[in-house]
Amino acid sequence: MSDNQTPSTSVDPTAEHTTHFGFKQVDKGQKASLVANVFDSVAAKYDVMNDLMSMGVHRLWKRFTIDCSGVRAGQKVLDIAGGTGDLTAKFSRLVGPTGRVTLADINLSMLKVGRDKLRDRGLVSNIDYVQADAEALPFPDNHFDVVTMAFGLRNVTEKQNALNSIYRVLKPGGRLLVLEFSKPTSEQLSKIYDMYSFHILPKMGQLVANDAESYQYLAESIRMHPDQETLKGMFEEAGFEQCDYQNLTGGIVALHRGYKF
Amino acid sequence: MPTSALVAATVESAINKLLSLDDESEKRLKALNGARLTAFVSPLPYGVTLSFSDSVDVLTEHGSFEDVVSQLGPRDCCIKTSLQTLPELKETSQLTRLIQQKALFLEGELNVAQQVSGLFQQLEIDVEELLASKTNDVFAHQSVKTASIIHEKAKTTLATAARLFGNAIVEEKQVAAHKLAVMHFSDEVNALRDHTDSVDARLRRLEEKLK
Repeated sequence: MSDNQTPSTSVDPTAEHTTHFGFKQVDKGQKASLVANVFDSVAAKYDVMNDLMSMGVHRLWKRFTIDCSGVRAGQKVLDIAGGTGDLTAKFSRLVGPTGRVTLADINLSMLKVGRDKLRDRGLVSNIDYVQADAEALPFPDNHFDVVTMAFGLRNVTEKQNALNSIYRVLKPGGRLLVLEFSKPTSEQLSKIYDMYSFHILPKMGQLVANDAESYQYLAESIRMHPDQETLKGMFEEAGFEQCDYQNLTGGIVALHRGYKF
Repeated sequence: MPTSALVAATVESAINKLLSLDDESEKRLKALNGARLTAFVSPLPYGVTLSFSDSVDVLTEHGSFEDVVSQLGPRDCCIKTSLQTLPELKETSQLTRLIQQKALFLEGELNVAQQVSGLFQQLEIDVEELLASKTNDVFAHQSVKTASIIHEKAKTTLATAARLFGNAIVEEKQVAAHKLAVMHFSDEVNALRDHTDSVDARLRRLEEKLK
């Protein structure tokens, strides 16, 4: 990893009022708006960039998440940080007319792109769109059967608060699935992945979305996200039981699962 | 990479593409709206669920047959069988026999399984029409005609080859000596050798006497 790929220490990282934004330390109050700027900037090209960056594999990661969700007809599903609605589209068909899917995202630009995409596909009858902060979900206690969060948790300022909030809105017996970038299990893969993330990804972002900075942030935020075991511990701290995770593509991505009983 | 997700995605695309090629399948799909069919087919390592709405979603089931059965809804059906038994499921009249023989385990709504079977068996895809929409009528007609002639010829050739091969095996079997006959022949050759040796010995003795 080169010098520009290490966390900045210009602000005391142990200070309680700061958090990381990529490798930078910023005031906790600032992070949400900085992340919002990133997603405002990439919203329009989000799907194209996802396909390009992952060579389409993100679709398989999401599909695997849906397979593990065990969603049945008539259930209530919350897709947090649902972005452009990849998971919501599938959930909408699986829960059928008697179920409901709530697509929640803190970013209005992403929510609008997702809503337009799903409506264009004719998915209108059982989907609600809610602009919501994962740390303070505006839903009643014990409300959802399944909650999913795909590639969203690392952008949340206080991740533990988000997990606590999700635990509150889940019904007893419900499950949480968090799909997120994680730590590659092999050293060699890690090196290749670093090279790809810090050298190729920002250039791709510049070329396609005319925004290298946002994709530099993406690479950095992935490195700052808790690894598999740490996140599992955070699940348990929130009260989830039978927590486990499955590494996908050599640990580049991990799917964490936890149940509320 | 989750291979199961890749397989499911491929199967899902193939099924939905096939169904879109037959206008009548929309009606049959409507009758299945909201239904789910899960199949555990050994030796496949996981189950596959077909979930029906205005299209077919294919999901992989990583739990067991019993797990799925415990969560069956009113329009769900779950089957457990093997790859060898799968072709026999086409005949719905055979279902009872297969269940009795424990070659098939079926839980939930039987109608769903029958409707799914019908959805695929009644598929009628007009290949010529499809090809014509992408090329032109003459090319499509000629291509389909040629393909059907080749198909017929291949079928006839294969049938002839199979018959010839069968005959050859049966006739070869008749011509070839039986194992017992070979043993009997060997015994006779041995007896003849012994007899010749004894004649040879007697001749040598006679020669000695004449000297």
